[in-house]
Amino acid sequence: MPMRIIDSAVRFSSDVASHTVDTYRQAMASCSIDHAVIAPGDNCVTVYNEEGNVQTAEIIKTHPDLFSGLAVANPWYGPKAVDILKRAFDGGLRGLYLHPLRQGFRLTEGIIDPLIDVCLAYGRAVYSHTGTPIVCEPFQLAELARRFPDVRFVMGHGAYPDFWYDVSSAMTQSPNLYIETSCQVGVVLQQVLDTVGADRVLFGSGFPRSQPGLEIDKIKRLRLNTENLAKVAAENAKRLWGIKR
Amino acid sequence: MKIIDTHTHLPGWTFESKPRPISDLRREFETEGLVGAWLFTTDGLIRDTAKNNDILVEAVEGHRDFFVPFGTVNPHDGTESALRELERTKFQLGFKGIKFHPWLQAFSMTHPAILPILSRAGELSMPVVFHDGTPPYSSPLQIAAVAEKVPHTTIILGHAGLDDLYRDAILACKRQPNIHLCLCGPSSGYLREILHNCPVDRLLFGSDGGFGADLIAWRIATVRETGADPETLQKIFYENPLTLISKAGVTQ
Repeated sequence: MPMRIIDSAVRFSSDVASHTVDTYRQAMASCSIDHAVIAPGDNCVTVYNEEGNVQTAEIIKTHPDLFSGLAVANPWYGPKAVDILKRAFDGGLRGLYLHPLRQGFRLTEGIIDPLIDVCLAYGRAVYSHTGTPIVCEPFQLAELARRFPDVRFVMGHGAYPDFWYDVSSAMTQSPNLYIETSCQVGVVLQQVLDTVGADRVLFGSGFPRSQPGLEIDKIKRLRLNTENLAKVAAENAKRLWGIKR
Repeated sequence: MKIIDTHTHLPGWTFESKPRPISDLRREFETEGLVGAWLFTTDGLIRDTAKNNDILVEAVEGHRDFFVPFGTVNPHDGTESALRELERTKFQLGFKGIKFHPWLQAFSMTHPAILPILSRAGELSMPVVFHDGTPPYSSPLQIAAVAEKVPHTTIILGHAGLDDLYRDAILACKRQPNIHLCLCGPSSGYLREILHNCPVDRLLFGSDGGFGADLIAWRIATVRETGADPETLQKIFYENPLTLISKAGVTQ
């Protein structure tokens, strides 16, 4: 890939394994990734929200050129979750990371609304893990995007594995819906690009669920001209997350 | 390294696709690095089971050195009819295995025809590949519950549980010695966990080839990304598929 790369899907601790910052930085260097948007692992997504946000902010403080971060707040904490999210945004985190399967809610449930209202007020985007029935399907995220047309939502991992047939249609339905490319197969991503263009497609590695080199090679094989490749590789992410560097 | 793909589909009319000359498909598969492929009917999983089994056998004519055909039967046709079609695919069409897709074919693993079909498939030395990883009909443990009742039948979870249920696939594989996992689907980080926890002799490479350009290359790269040693890769990519299908009477 000939230009700047921003990875919009990195977690340093998840259910796969615990990966240190240095492990991912090695991958960044070998794959020429310039910047990554990181989110906390599952224990922090579910229970230890504040701790996860603080850890993420500390990593960014240590490596401000390399990383931006997403905040976590489990909606079941109610008003406490709203406060956690506000503190995280005030501390510089750039969006909300949702994992409906781990956090135990459906994207169509109103329990998430107070957190989306915070994102609306701060002008921050929402990244959601998607692809797991019955909690985070493409049309469930598209429905949420319809209810909050002024908030931008990201379909994490391109709804892989089994909702490939819904992805393009959901993307068409909601213009404030973006898609992140990790894990999803190239033929589905190409269909999205052919259907809605390249302006709402973000490169992600899905690390550690998937691997940066593998995912970059996949993007290289898509039918993208130079301009659109640059958008997918970095420009769309830079604009969506407000990355200044 | 030689690679046999244990999960490919004959393009048909399903999913807005269209049939392709088998020579083109073979050329594409060989270019991607395969020396052989288990080829499943696609349209037969949706409609006209027997007709599509016939289409598959005609398609692989002259290419049996590369393609190993797997047909299907429809449990909704009833036990007797399904068993007749199973035996026809074995003895008249020369099929080596059976593919089921409980989601597309809309049957539960508790359907009364399933157990007799699987039992007979075992008697005929026909491995049975299931689509899996997709609720409500195709979870690994739903399939394992039946696999336990037919220990003489080789059962292959065609997607190793996919990304949502791969850990259930690991449980199924560790518990049931007749269950194999086809590594077609789980992301590379999850494949590492599968390789770490399951007997390597029961892991198979598969890609869903036939459903789109670059799928085979993507799946090969995904398996390689696990960092598995050459001996393990040799088993997954070649020796294990070869061993299984040799038991069904094919040399590749």
